[in-house]
Formats: sequence, C-alpha cells, structure tokens
Amino acid sequence: MNANADPLAVGGGAPPKRARRRSPDRAFRYYMIAPAVFVILLIGLFPVIYTALKSVQNVNMFDMDTSYQGFIHYKALMSDTRFWLALAHTLIFVVVALPAELALGLAMAYLFVDRMPGRPVFVTLLVLPVLVSPIVAGATWRLMLDNRYGPINQILGWIAGEEVTLLWLVDPNLVYPAIIIAEIWQWTPFMFLLLWAALSNVDQSQVEAAELDGASWWRTFRLVVLPAIWPVVAIAVLIRALDLFRLFDVIWALTKGGPGTMTETISIYAYVLGFQQFETSYTAAMAFVIIVLLAVTVTIVLRRIEIDR
Amino acid sequence: MRLRPERGLGLVLRFILALVVLVFFLFPIYWLAIISFKTPDEIFSFPPVWWPEAIQFANYAVLFKDGDVETIGNSLFIAGASTLVATLLGTMCAYSIARFRTGGNMFSDWIISNRMIPPIVIVFPIFLLFVALGLVDTYIGLIMLYTAFNLPYVIWMMRGYIQDVPVELEEAALVDGLTRFEVFRKVVLPMVRGGLFATAVFTFVFAWNEFIFALVLTRNEVTTFPVQVTHYFGGQSNLWAKIAAMSVLGTVPIFIVVAFLQRFLVRGISLGAVKG
Amino acid sequence: MSQLEITGLRKHYGSFEALKGIDLSVPEGEFCVFVGPSGCGKSTLLRTIAGLEESSHGTIAIDGEVVNDLRPRDRNIAMVFQNYALYPYLSVFENIAFGLRARRVADAEVNRRVGEAAEMLGITPLLDRQPRQLSGGQRQRVAIGRAVVRDARLFLFDEPLSNLDAQLRDGMRAEIKRLHGEIGKTTIYVTHDQIEAMTLADRIVLLREGRIEQEGAPLDMFERPRTRFVAGFLGSPQMNFLPVEAGADGLVLADGQRLPRPLNASGATGSLVLGVRPEHFSRAGEPVAGEGRLDILVDLVQPTGTRTYAQFRVGAQEVTAELPAHSVEAPGARLALAVDMARVSLFDADGIALR
Repeated sequence: MNANADPLAVGGGAPPKRARRRSPDRAFRYYMIAPAVFVILLIGLFPVIYTALKSVQNVNMFDMDTSYQGFIHYKALMSDTRFWLALAHTLIFVVVALPAELALGLAMAYLFVDRMPGRPVFVTLLVLPVLVSPIVAGATWRLMLDNRYGPINQILGWIAGEEVTLLWLVDPNLVYPAIIIAEIWQWTPFMFLLLWAALSNVDQSQVEAAELDGASWWRTFRLVVLPAIWPVVAIAVLIRALDLFRLFDVIWALTKGGPGTMTETISIYAYVLGFQQFETSYTAAMAFVIIVLLAVTVTIVLRRIEIDR
Repeated sequence: MRLRPERGLGLVLRFILALVVLVFFLFPIYWLAIISFKTPDEIFSFPPVWWPEAIQFANYAVLFKDGDVETIGNSLFIAGASTLVATLLGTMCAYSIARFRTGGNMFSDWIISNRMIPPIVIVFPIFLLFVALGLVDTYIGLIMLYTAFNLPYVIWMMRGYIQDVPVELEEAALVDGLTRFEVFRKVVLPMVRGGLFATAVFTFVFAWNEFIFALVLTRNEVTTFPVQVTHYFGGQSNLWAKIAAMSVLGTVPIFIVVAFLQRFLVRGISLGAVKG
Repeated sequence: MSQLEITGLRKHYGSFEALKGIDLSVPEGEFCVFVGPSGCGKSTLLRTIAGLEESSHGTIAIDGEVVNDLRPRDRNIAMVFQNYALYPYLSVFENIAFGLRARRVADAEVNRRVGEAAEMLGITPLLDRQPRQLSGGQRQRVAIGRAVVRDARLFLFDEPLSNLDAQLRDGMRAEIKRLHGEIGKTTIYVTHDQIEAMTLADRIVLLREGRIEQEGAPLDMFERPRTRFVAGFLGSPQMNFLPVEAGADGLVLADGQRLPRPLNASGATGSLVLGVRPEHFSRAGEPVAGEGRLDILVDLVQPTGTRTYAQFRVGAQEVTAELPAHSVEAPGARLALAVDMARVSLFDADGIALR
C-alpha cells in the first residue's frame, strides 16, 4: 500500500515498522476464514473437479478405464432422450409450481397483512409445512392421496356424490397434479412468509400519499408496493426455482419417478444412473452439465437482482 | 397497513378465508398424526376414519421395540454435531468477511454459490471419495458433509447479523484493551447471540431433514430418520402405521424448537433477504 | 498526564487524501477541540490517534513515545463515542468496568474505581441497570464513566453530545468542562458545533479539507480569525461578508455607501471582503466624523427574546445585525446602524485576513 511513496513524507521511519503492525490484523482475518474455507472446498471444489475429470474418462460398472476419452459422454448425453425428458419434467415442475406458489403466497400475504384476531397464531401455524422434512411431506401426501384409504378421494366423493377412486400416483394424468399439489402445500407458506414480511415493511406513508393523490388500488400496487417488495420477490423466486430445479425428495417419496419414467427429474435420473446403473463417467458428465447450467443462470440472475451483500 | 383494495374484504370474511387457508395447510399434518394413533383396522377402513375411537400408542411402541427409533438418535447426533461445528467455523469466517471484507464480493459470491449446487451433483463424487476413505455409513462422514454443506448458510446469515452490530462497540472494546479475537468473543458473539441461535437451529433443521446425502452415504449403521421413513414404503402395501409414527417422531422436535424462533423465522428462511 | 505530538500526519483512503499533513502539539492537561465542517478530517484525525485508523505517513507520539505501530489497546487511551457504544448485554457497572476487566485489574480495585467514577458522574444509583433502561443523558454519563475509570494517558471524545437534545447538551457540556477541571487529563474533543468548541476548549484546532486552518485559544480565534473560513465558522449567527472596494480614504460598499478603513487593517486597496459580525452593529446616534455608519431598510425581523436579529440588504448581499430586543418591531423600518470598525475584519480575495 506504500507503492506511491510521498517525497514530502515527514517524520519518516514508520514504513518498515508499519509492515509489522499490519500483520496481526491481516493474519487474524485469514485465520478466521481458513477452517471454513477448507471445509467448503471439500464440497465446493473437489466434487466439481472430480466430476469434470471423470466425465472425460470411461468408468462404469464393468470398466475402470481412466484414460482420456474426450467428450464422448457429453455427445451421448446430447442424444439421450431420457435426459432431455428428465430436464423437461424438471422444468414443468418449475414453471407450474413456482408461479402457483408465488400467486398463492402473495394472496395469503395480502389476506394477513391487515390486523386480524389471532394473526400471530395463524402465521405460526401456516409456517409448519415448510419445516417438515420433504420426505415426510411426500409420505404425508402419499397417505392423503391413497386411492382407497386417503381422505382426498373421500372428499372428492362427497362433492361428486359417488365413490371416487382416482389413482393419483399411478394414473399418468394425475401424477403431475399430485406432486405439484404436494410441492405447493409445502412451499407456498415459504412464499407467504417472505412476501408477508415484505408487505409489512412497505412504507405506509408512500401508500397513503398515493391514495391521497387519487391513485387506484392497482396503480398503488404497481407503482408503490411492487417496487418495494420486488427484491424479496426476486430472492424468494430464486431460492424456490433452485429448489425445484433439484427436486428429488418429494418425488422419491411419492412416485420414485414413475410411472415408468414419467416424473423423473434430472436429480432422479442422475441418481438412477450413478447409484443403480453405476455409469460413473456418464453421470459425471451429466452432473457437470447441470453445474454449468446452474452457474450460468444463477450468475446472471444474481447480477440482476443485487442481493444484500 | 392499508394495502388492500379500498372496498376490501370485511374482517369477518377475511377471518373465514384465513380459517379455510389454515385448514388446507394443517389438515395433511393432522392426517399424518392421526394415522399414527389409529389401529390397523382403522387405518385400513373404507371409507377412511377421520377420528379414531381411542388414541393408542401401539404404533410408537413397535418403533421403540424394534429399535427403529435409533434412527432418530442418529439424526440427532449427526445434525447436532454438524450444527455445532458449522456454526463455530461459519461464525468466525463471517466475522472476518463482515468486518474486513476479506476476499471481497467474489469470495462472498463464491460462498453462497456453494449453497446452490444441487446435492445430487455433489453426492456422486463425494460417494466415491467416501468409499475410498472408508467413510460410507459412518457418523464422521455424514457430520463432515453436513458441516460443509451448511457452512455457506451459516456464513451468509451470520455475516448479516454481524454487520448489524455497531462497529463503535468493537472499536470501544479495542480502545479499552481487547485483542481482535477477544472482541469477537466478548463483544460480537454476545451481540449476535439471538441470530446465532436462530442460525444454529435452522442449520440443525436442514441437516435433520436432509435426504439425498443420507440415502447415498448410509447403509445400516447410521441411517437417519428420513431414510428410515422411506424404508417403510412398499410397492403396493405401505407400512402406514410406521410411516406415520416415524414421521411424527421426526417432525415434532422441529416444530417445538422453531416455535421459539418467531422473531428470526423470516430472516432465517429467506437467507437474510428479509430482516423481518 | 501526557502530551501529544503529531508530525506530518497523512492519511489516504485509496486516492482520497483525508489528512494532508497535520502538525500538532497538545501539551499536558490541555483541553483541545478539533472542530470543522463534516468531511474536514477531524474524526479521522481522532481515530488515527486512537489507533482505529492507520496513518499513511507521519508520526503520532504520546509522551515522546511513537505509537504509530501500537494497537489501540497498547496505546492506553480512553475514548467516548458519539453513540455511546455501550454493551447492551452488560449492566452499567460492567460497562464501566469493561476496560479494567480487559486489563485484568483485581476485583477490589475495579469496585473502588467504578464506585469513584460513578460517584463523580452522579450515576451510582444506576449501576445495576441495563443500558436500555437509561435515558440519553444517563447513557452519555456511563460512556464517560467508562473512559474516566481507566488510568488512560489521553481522553478522546468523538462528538459525544450530538445525539442529545439541546437542553441536555448544555448541561453535559458544563459537566464535561467541570470533569476536565477535576481530572486534568489531556483531552481531545471532536465536534462540529462551534459553540461546544468555543465553550470547552483551551485550544481550538479548526480543520478544513484535511488541513489545520488555524489553531489557538477560542477567543483569540474568534476575534482574530486568520481566514474568512475561520471567521465564518466561529460565531452564530454567522459573520456577514460584504464585498467592498477599498481606497486610501475608505471602503465603498456595493450599494455605494462608504465606511472608514478598519483601524487594524493594513493598507491594501482594491476588491476586498469586509467581515462584520452581527453584534458589531448597533443603533447609531448623531453622526460623528470617522464613525462607520450605514443607513438600512429592514426586510426581516427575528426576535429571540433577549436580542433581535434584523436583516437587510447591502447591494445583493443579505446582512444580519444583532440589536437589543425591541429596537426594531417590523420590516420596512429605516434605521441608521453604527459599525464597530475596531472589531471588523478585512479579507483579501483569497480569504486571508489583512492585519
């Protein structure tokens, strides 16, 4: 930091000592991060490098060929219909469940933003689904949706006036709604909680000023409320989009990707490839593609929404 | 706050609507819980029984008798130990970042980006590594992995809480004669203890609920409770009583702990984006 | 009891130079006030003395010992912060004792010293409370207590009163002055409030853009400002600055009225600026030869109760005169004002006072 030494410096003699003085604090800051960085490198760097390495070899259940094979697995992946279908399934969950959660969460946030008797109790209870293990959530909906002993068909039966025996987890037309309902059930409260907090933090004087200016409710929402809650909306959507993109647990509990491979997401497909078919290199190539896809998306999104740093 | 439409819903109407919403979100939890108290006849009756004749605990007794509850103990130990380590290391790192901007924005971005990697991508090479090191199906292996996986969260959250501490408090302590580390221990930690506790609880919940790592990296010795729940799934016949009882055992502790965290709930699950 | 010696002190933040070469010597027991507008570097200078900021060049010596390379804890100084910096999780007693405990002082000694400090500040009944239970003034006392309890070589105050309301501020100001009288420690006090500076200081150091603009005894600086900046900074309401054309026989104002040459000014001629404090005006009696006299049209009257401020224009320049209460009742009045030419200042085009 003394690069541009000042010829006018008075009372010198300090620079050599200063180096010694600086070191305790400087060393301190690195001691403090060292253990954490070491541990994170274990999951943040090693797997990525290892994956990249394995993806250009040819290791599988029968073959331990660790010689360089080029991009054969990436080429194979590009023409692997099952991979593209898995990607498509994953995106279906993202584009259906995410807007639904956002819309429902926002509606609920509005419902609870004004005072109401028992509101703290409502909010506390509404958060419970978020805290449940996704596996338990899946198990719960497995019980709920059982064609014979589950209450969903029973309730639908009351409405329809006759016995309903929908095969929610088997019928190709119903598995997607079933999984999406479970996802919405578990994660809408997450959206609700964030949006509710954001709405509560909207500067009320701005809203009142807009009302005094004669702005309609919609204009007030669009020009005052939405800009104020926008950063939170962006974060909530980002977090949920990433969660949905790696959707595994709930599907594992409900259908394991079935019937057939109808609800197989890329996470499930990767699991099947890696741990049931032991296609090490092929799985690695796929994992690496996912990493790159995500890294690019997230970087772009983060640059745009400027999360609190 | 009057954010609603001018001709907004009346209070009564809103209250009724709130009750409907609440029922939708709580009924599945109720259903899960009530099944765990039913007899097999009640579970497999058609049409389904919404309220059993008598609350009975036979389903739980079986779990205790067969030793299935050990998986709860495994989860407790693994999640607890990894939370302890992650909170300690993460808070130290967070202090360095918050106070000295160590590594700049790049470093912070890199840390949080680790949080966003899908577990399935990590678990595969980690599995091969663990096989090589003999860490599959061991406590230490899973604890290490959960520690590493939760560190970015701890760092990210604690960085936010530490930034909320007025820097003058630390400067006053420096002038009063504390070393940097003493300032961290005696000034910063007491100032952020609420956030620290909340962050630790969330870390614990994440580890507790985690499934993929546990599925891949455990066999019979250190099975965690979510994995145990999936063991009761059958192709056609599910062990419904066990699924329900086990799920309840694994869920109630979380509900209880988080009930004490109201103030930190929003900030905790929004990765600090909303300060609540 | 210690003295402070600063030589050639500079401080860069990247390319920004916050301190551009400070030379200052504060003798033992002096109450020295750093004052200046925000961004002048006064806080940076204080924090550099404390060791909370590193200097880029120059030395800071306490009692002849260069402390540049010492950590804050090893400099043995005490500091009072603007927002008090009380630890909310500690009782008042433990807050005051914090520095002693950090230095592993024995319990009995801690009790004695905290007791004495609390007694001195009148906060003994508050010792068991938590900081959040205290009023702003009480918190300020605790913060001061934390400093006086230490046997520090220097006391540093960083705008300690600016978070208090006006009434409390007057009381605390007197208290700080009394405390300094009792303890007699070398004290450095940073403020942006010129009244605090004037009332507290043995010596004022007025900073501007990282340099010392002038230092000296308060009244000396008030009466003999070296620059227009100093003249304008000290005193409230501000000194009036009137552009004048100076000739051998007198000063011509923008509106053509004439004033005699100030008694203390050198023989400079040309475009100058005349500095007249509001209190240098008075109601004029019968014209006297050689007296400074202005005929004015009052356009705004601000009574404060004790005095009345009358505003008028000289050319385009708004001028304030401080007159006895009731001397003007309403705008529109035509008055003759006498100007005390023995006390006004004259500045050249660069703002340097002419003596």
